Amino acid sequence: MKYLWFGWLLAAGISSCSLPANKQPDSTVRIRWNRDPENLSPLALPNQNAVDAATLLHCSLLQVDLSIGTYSPALADSLPQMQLLGDSLTHLRYQLRRAAAWDNGRPVLATDVAFTLKLIFCPGLPNEKVRAPLGFIRDIKLDPSNPRRFTLVCRGQAPEFGFASGDFPIISEDVLDPKHSLRQFSVESVAAANAAEPTLAALATRYQQANLEAHPERLPGCGPYKLAVWKKKQYLTFERKTHWWADNLHPAPLVLQAKPAKLHFSIIPDDAMATLALRRHELDVLPQASARDFKRLQESAAARQSLAFYSTVSYEVVTAGFNTRRPLLRDSLTRQALSKLFDPVRLLQATQLGQGQRTVGLVHPSDHRYYASSLPLPTYDLPQAQILLQRAGWQHRPTGWTRPAAGGQAQRLALMLRYRGDEPAFQTIALQFKAAATQLNIPVELRPTEGSSLTTALREGDFDMYVRIQKGNPFAFNYASMLHSRSVQEGNFSKFGTPATDRLIEAVATAETPDQKRQLLQRFQVMLQRQVPFVPLFFLPYRLVADRRLQNLYPSAIKPGYSAPTMTWATATAALAQK
Amino acid sequence: MMQLGRWLAAQVGRAALAAWAIASLVFLLSRLDTAKATDLLLGEADNLGTAVLRTDIDATQRQARQAVEQRLGLAEPLFYVTRTKQAGAISWHWHGLHNQYHQWLRGLLHGHLGLSFRDGQPIGPRWRAALAYTLPLTGLATLGAIAGALLVGLVLAGGPQATLSGWRAGLHTLLTGLQGLPLFALALGLLFVFANPDMLNVLPAYTGSADAEELWDQRALRLVLPVLALVLAVLPELALLLAHALRHELSTGYATTARAKGLSNSKLLRKHALPNAILPLLTALAGLLPTLVAGAVVVETIFALPGTGRLLAEAVAMHDYPVVVAGVLFSALARLLALALADALYAWVDPRIRLVP
Repeated sequence: MKYLWFGWLLAAGISSCSLPANKQPDSTVRIRWNRDPENLSPLALPNQNAVDAATLLHCSLLQVDLSIGTYSPALADSLPQMQLLGDSLTHLRYQLRRAAAWDNGRPVLATDVAFTLKLIFCPGLPNEKVRAPLGFIRDIKLDPSNPRRFTLVCRGQAPEFGFASGDFPIISEDVLDPKHSLRQFSVESVAAANAAEPTLAALATRYQQANLEAHPERLPGCGPYKLAVWKKKQYLTFERKTHWWADNLHPAPLVLQAKPAKLHFSIIPDDAMATLALRRHELDVLPQASARDFKRLQESAAARQSLAFYSTVSYEVVTAGFNTRRPLLRDSLTRQALSKLFDPVRLLQATQLGQGQRTVGLVHPSDHRYYASSLPLPTYDLPQAQILLQRAGWQHRPTGWTRPAAGGQAQRLALMLRYRGDEPAFQTIALQFKAAATQLNIPVELRPTEGSSLTTALREGDFDMYVRIQKGNPFAFNYASMLHSRSVQEGNFSKFGTPATDRLIEAVATAETPDQKRQLLQRFQVMLQRQVPFVPLFFLPYRLVADRRLQNLYPSAIKPGYSAPTMTWATATAALAQK
Repeated sequence: MMQLGRWLAAQVGRAALAAWAIASLVFLLSRLDTAKATDLLLGEADNLGTAVLRTDIDATQRQARQAVEQRLGLAEPLFYVTRTKQAGAISWHWHGLHNQYHQWLRGLLHGHLGLSFRDGQPIGPRWRAALAYTLPLTGLATLGAIAGALLVGLVLAGGPQATLSGWRAGLHTLLTGLQGLPLFALALGLLFVFANPDMLNVLPAYTGSADAEELWDQRALRLVLPVLALVLAVLPELALLLAHALRHELSTGYATTARAKGLSNSKLLRKHALPNAILPLLTALAGLLPTLVAGAVVVETIFALPGTGRLLAEAVAMHDYPVVVAGVLFSALARLLALALADALYAWVDPRIRLVP
């Protein structure tokens, strides 16, 4: 009797916490995010979660349709018509959907698009990240005869302009500039203006006073959801608008569908906690599950009954790169030899449990148009590595590998490999390489480095080799940022680039027809295999675990890897049939 | 009373001076590398996703960096003076009040801690919001740990013999084991035992509920595991220390005399031994703050609580220096004030100790 109160308390605790197994789902979907979006200003979007949130609150001209993996018209009524002018200008003609409207019923017009572009290029605003990828847009020309029609004037010519020009959230001019003071400026003049220009300075002040970073509700978008609650670093809840303009479209394209009445994003940084929350039905969707948790859940009979498992090959490729400016690694034969010391097959198994995909280069293997499937995959081959080293002039002695260098001093093959210290997969790769190198008597010093210090070290060339992820997408084939000689101070960490390879990269980026692009990409992939500025080890998988009753997730290789607004709950009968 | 006031003013003055010196040092060191701020806001440039026909990436990134530096005030000189070396000759330049350090210090005196590199938002409200989670969490954990330490200490010291035996020895071993357990293992262990459908599924795993109408008792249940983890991390040290001090007191002459006069062991412990044994506990309590700050980092990350620990850990990981500097300032102040409080408590508990300003 003495401890009866304790028993009662425990029972009350159990009854209040445990969920009934056959809980009827409502139309809320609860999704895990591993970090807070931090800033919901449509001009800042510092991380992927902020981008995803912006897609719910705002609409772009074009948005990615995850069911087919391409851009589809959203606010625009069709893909833009492209017109090349001379050899340095492109015109992209857009028309907005007639139904597109803001929440107050005012139509979305070309003037809103023009205003958004001016905001993106306005000095003194926190828009640097959004501005950089749109730097090719020079101006916008409105059609006086049709307020929904406009033409974007672009510097240069490239097929990617078609979709890149439409991928930014459109902002209402009436909210931030009710007096239309920016209409006197062109996009070009805003971009060139000084931040102290009175009209622009006044706009910047208004923008900062609105504090949109923390209060996105002050700038209502024309997207399907509004932000109901944002408890920083805890959760965000988005509520479906009762009347949304795209509800009038029949049939509505996938990019303009919004099914769940509420989308709840829980910020859970720890993987173990997120997995438990999913098991306890405190979450419905767990994106980007780690290999270990994914496997553990798949092996649990109880979890298999209530959860569904999805895995796709992402556009993120794990690479091992060489500092091509170092005398040891300046010749491609040495780099080829060292590339043979990586074992992609065993590494894929060890770090990703076999999910993901090996590759010959940076083109995604699922892209059958451009992927050079005839090229050999990188393989582990110690004897071949030895032969290649000898061909590169290296001689094996008891003290290691040496070769004569200019000035009479001998070079000794010894390497320093940097990678991010908090990533276990990179450590596995580094250790495997070191073990293989040791067999050939090549000393390797491993330098696990903190993330941002690694970026600094790579930028400054303080490394011989590195292991890191390079992120891609299915739309662009412009490798200038990672391999062009003009990018050696920024993204081209391998410091690779010759006039010939630069020309090839530029030709790939500007190829106009699919045939031309296919030929050039074949040459590019062959060049990468010969020159080996880095070894593409494998594409990473995206793993998604979700409640079995959820449908229309569209698991995808494109970030974020699922489509939140299209998700629906299966009826009880359908869920049973699925089992 | 006058003396106590003078002593208090001196302590607070010293604490403020030390906190300012530490925070200034961290501020100046952190601003030596402005590239971190621009990296945070712009990201890396080698991703295919950011590259649309721009072969001159270096120039584009350079312009973007300049714009960020201008906006965040990083383009200004760092300090009042700078030293330059031209043609072998060293020269000093006076920049007046237009420098980053002066702006920061002036803001600090007005209660502004600056802007985050990561999102350009003011830091003050962020710390206040985080403290609203951390103070109740660490406060509850401190109270729980003190209460638990008193209880367990008295129980451990309450045995009939000088050496521990039976279940008391078992409890001692358990506490020693807990003391050696890393906090992340302890927190994850609690999570896997009490919030796991395959084990005891009795407590919530996730602390942030989606349900706005959730009752207070369910909200309180969500705090049980984080508080318990922190209590168990701190309790063993305090309890073992107290038990040791109590046993020492029990072996002294006055305890033998009291026993000879027929005082029961439990009364002797509570009324005579405890007031004398509590002094080392006060020292340990003053040292508890760093443990709780470090513990909050782990517990808040694992249990997804948006407190100061997680804020500081994320800021350090992302090199968001203004947030780190504010954290250093808070921690230094709290630590120094805790030491002052411990001194005051010492004087209160033992009147023989005198406070000298």
